[in-house]
Amino acid sequence: MNPESVLPALLGLAWLLPLASFAIIVLLGRRLGKEGVLASYVATSAILSGFVLSAIAMLVWLGSAPAPEEHHEDESHASSTVDAPLVVRAQDAGEEHAAPVDAEHDDHAAEHGEEDHHAGHHAEPPRSYSGDWYLLGEFGDLRISIGYYVDALTVTMFCMVTFIATCIHFYAVGYMHDELHDVDDHEVTLEDGGHLHRRGRFHRFFQYLSLFCFSMLGIVIAGNIAMVFVFWELVGVCSYFLIGFYFERHSASCAANKAFIVNRVGDFGMIIGLMALWGSLGTFSFGDWTDSEGNQQAGIFSQVRPEENEYQLRTPDGMVRAAASEEVAQIVAETGDLEASETAIAEQIPEWRDGPEHYGYALLVIAGLGIFCGCVGKSAQFPLHVWLPDAMEGPTPVSALVHSATMVAAGVYLVGRFFPVFTPEVLLAIAYIGAITLFIAATIAIVATDIKRVLAYSTVSQLGYMMLALGIGGWVAGMFHLITHAFFKSLLFMGSGSVIHACHTNEMTKMGGLRHKMPWTAYTMLVGCLAIIGAGIPFVIGFSGYYSKDAIIEQALSFTNENPAHRILFLAAAGGAAITAFYMFRLWFMTFAGPPRDERVYEHAHESPKVMYLPLVVLSVFAIGVGWQLPGLPSLAGNTGLLEQARPAGTLANVEGGAWLPELTIPDEHLSHVKEIKIPATLIAFSTALGGVFFAAVFYGWRLLDPEDARRQFFPVHRFLLHKWWFDELYEIIFIRPAHVVARLAAGVDKNAFDRLIDGTATFVRGVSDQVDRSIDRPVVDGLANKLAQWTYSLGLGLRVAQTGSIRQYVMFIVVGTAALFLLVSFFWNPTWAGN
Amino acid sequence: MNLLTEPVGLTHYLVVGAVMFVTGAVCMATKRNALGVLMGIELVLNGANLNFVAFSSPYLRGSSVFLGLDGQLIALFVIVLAAAEAAVALAITLNFYNNHATVDVDEADRLKG
Amino acid sequence: MNWHSFFFLLFSLVCCGFAIAVVATSNVVRMAFYLVISLSATAGLFFLAGADFVGAMQLMIYVGGTLVLLIFGVMLTAQRAFVSMRTAGGEWILAAIVGSVFLMILVQAAFRVESWTSPTTAEVPLEEQVTATRLGMGFLGLRVDGDAEADASTQTAMTGYLLPFEIISIHLLVVLVGAAYLARPKRRARQEAS
Repeated sequence: MNPESVLPALLGLAWLLPLASFAIIVLLGRRLGKEGVLASYVATSAILSGFVLSAIAMLVWLGSAPAPEEHHEDESHASSTVDAPLVVRAQDAGEEHAAPVDAEHDDHAAEHGEEDHHAGHHAEPPRSYSGDWYLLGEFGDLRISIGYYVDALTVTMFCMVTFIATCIHFYAVGYMHDELHDVDDHEVTLEDGGHLHRRGRFHRFFQYLSLFCFSMLGIVIAGNIAMVFVFWELVGVCSYFLIGFYFERHSASCAANKAFIVNRVGDFGMIIGLMALWGSLGTFSFGDWTDSEGNQQAGIFSQVRPEENEYQLRTPDGMVRAAASEEVAQIVAETGDLEASETAIAEQIPEWRDGPEHYGYALLVIAGLGIFCGCVGKSAQFPLHVWLPDAMEGPTPVSALVHSATMVAAGVYLVGRFFPVFTPEVLLAIAYIGAITLFIAATIAIVATDIKRVLAYSTVSQLGYMMLALGIGGWVAGMFHLITHAFFKSLLFMGSGSVIHACHTNEMTKMGGLRHKMPWTAYTMLVGCLAIIGAGIPFVIGFSGYYSKDAIIEQALSFTNENPAHRILFLAAAGGAAITAFYMFRLWFMTFAGPPRDERVYEHAHESPKVMYLPLVVLSVFAIGVGWQLPGLPSLAGNTGLLEQARPAGTLANVEGGAWLPELTIPDEHLSHVKEIKIPATLIAFSTALGGVFFAAVFYGWRLLDPEDARRQFFPVHRFLLHKWWFDELYEIIFIRPAHVVARLAAGVDKNAFDRLIDGTATFVRGVSDQVDRSIDRPVVDGLANKLAQWTYSLGLGLRVAQTGSIRQYVMFIVVGTAALFLLVSFFWNPTWAGN
Repeated sequence: MNLLTEPVGLTHYLVVGAVMFVTGAVCMATKRNALGVLMGIELVLNGANLNFVAFSSPYLRGSSVFLGLDGQLIALFVIVLAAAEAAVALAITLNFYNNHATVDVDEADRLKG
Repeated sequence: MNWHSFFFLLFSLVCCGFAIAVVATSNVVRMAFYLVISLSATAGLFFLAGADFVGAMQLMIYVGGTLVLLIFGVMLTAQRAFVSMRTAGGEWILAAIVGSVFLMILVQAAFRVESWTSPTTAEVPLEEQVTATRLGMGFLGLRVDGDAEADASTQTAMTGYLLPFEIISIHLLVVLVGAAYLARPKRRARQEAS
């Protein structure tokens, strides 16, 4: 099997299946079974097939890998249909950091850690297959196509997205069951005081889910940044539809609008980045491509990190030329000859690039920041994080799939994909944005009482972790956390959905003790909580979060050691870990432990149906084990892991500062696995998490301290956090109010100036036409017509007399008429008329 | 010119045709009986026919200027049309008689203006 | 005064005299009788003009068909009141004036053309055999009476009468149907009336 042709075909099929499902559901809708119940079967089977195809693609990838570990296709498949994909998945994901391999990694790192900068070791670009499926158009240099770029990251993301989406589709079948018949929405009060009664929208939910999966997979497989942008927006639209699923609720439609508009702000920056890239590099494509004449053309990555520069970041020639346009114009003017000036410019370019002016470097920074702007919007990073908590108005499966596991992960994924393009300055900005986000969101999560909002803020916070990891050079750490987080966050969200399903409320203050009523949900959620705080026995084994979060903290520590000035980043990561532990266990204790707070809710609660808690169990298995290194399988992360295969070329080395921040050093990620860093980092992470859990237990588990007391004690802080750092209010004052004022002003101008002008014109025209009507139309035109009619009428009256009705008279008339004719002719006849 | 002394020529026929035509027309104008009117029509048609035949006759006009066969053919057409006309007119008359119990054309003045 | 002129005088007098008699009498039955005589005399005039076939048709169709039809009509409607219907004297006078004016115009027109009044001393050879073949061919669209002296354009203009012939036949059919329709007894109407 040739992976170069097989992989794109497999992944492309997996990508298009949800589109087909979407089309079917759009066309048939409610006709699919009773009230569209078959829509769920269509959508679920599409995404399940997508997952199977992705899993096969993963096997192909592993099978064709040149890595020392050979592929193992002899793994037995379980007999049960539900378990079969899971086994495949376990093969794909592989595990990491089992003790023996760990040591080996450390050796690796130590070996290279001295003075060797790994330039030779990892200099080759990662194995990737890129190409175009369909060329949409070529406008001069601009080439827009539907293409693919497949590397280890793509394959891994495909498996992750399709797997989680499959679980959530199953879950949604149970969760959205109410939509199969008419629904009374008790949250919508009509004008007459009653509640809204509407038809169920079961099929529509699955229709949007399918479209969403298609879009998300489109982002992952995209071979060029233009295609990424298209699917980026599609994902945004799906999110809008899904958040606004209960659009009759005012809060839901507002939240949908908010998410969409806030994302637009980020996309604005992204478009600037796109323009900067295309304008100076002349291509959208990630990888190298072949043009219609058969010439090899450099893609974005190889222009930014050319082979002759040992894959180190270098301002591309195009950007240098664009920035130094004045000098270029001067050279062209001096030489006069086009070809001669081209060679002169080409000679000058290195000088311009490395000179004190650093021509083009600013452009590269702008491109990086612009792309990152889009990611800030989509991944809900500070300052655009406000939309994600509100997005919890959507149904819970949506929150689980869209707003924790996949869509918001698209931003992180794009940062990872564009990692080669980011200069150290941009990376530092990313790191700071991530750190700020993770801290703000974590603090807000402490005081939130809505169970889904706690999870939403925790998502924002975890996304901040990923951004931080990427920003400080921990590419594998960030991507690894992206994948582990997807598993346990979707698990947590689906668990919370199960709770909400049972209690019919989101408020944790009304819950408590639910673990007796719904054990499956409670203990799978406990697994999720443990995974997210990174629980584990240090250096031995742990939940998946243990590996990924530790990798981030290790890298943060390594970064801080190199750059003491940016110590705050490490403190944020470590502090954030403690806060995460606190609020996650606060959530679990409030919901499931202790005596019930509201008897009525407790009485009412019941375990969810099997179709809902089975996905929870499946996901919790992965939340535990996705980070493990199983014997005979490549691990997900680590120095030889799957993600390492996708690491962009040239990023595995200490980077000694950019053009503007020469003292900044982005440390080699492999160096973070050496013992001197790993041990303190692990201990710090473990102790902070333990502390957080301890405090949560004191307040909510054992209830030794009353949280009310603490609330009173820190009243201003509590209020500050409860209002989410006053972000919404701040935006209200800074953006919304001025916008309203401007709008009102514009409306005033419209009404007073334009409307008056137009009304005046209209009045004038009416007056003129009135005048014309009175002076010309009526007397002249109408008069003429009336006169004519009158004449005709009177003529008819006169001739009427002759119409006697008597045949004999008529004969008489004829005879007289003929005689008269003869007489007339005989009087006036001219013989020459006859021709002779 | 004396018609009685001249050899028979075209003018003779034309005069006879004119007399028949005018008598037919006067007949139409004076008869109150619908059948009388019909007879007037026959007379008029015959007057016209006489002219056609006369104009087509080589005996009357000389071989170079006569109308030839066309006159006779048209005369035949006229005869056929007269037969058709008579049949229809008679049907109308009978119908009128059936409806009004009279054949007086003066009674049929419903189309008076 | 030869036999030709004699017969012409005879026929024309009979023809005109009985035509006037048709106008003069007010009895419809007599009118019909006079008309028969007048039209028969016209047929005689046709024979004298050399149109044997037309004359024969005049006798057969007109006298033998059309007029018999008229006489049927007379008999069907000949109730006492309608046998003789008198016309007012004023109308007689008016009709006489108009008629005589019209007659004068026509007669004057008949004398007006020089070539009509002066009869060519006919040097026309009498037909060897009297035949209707040429007429029949004319109806079928073929002209066999081609005038040798006529120029080419006249020749082409002398076409047959096949199309009018066909139209006439259809016309007759329509008339047949129409007449039958119009004259059919309307029983229901009569029953309702009674």
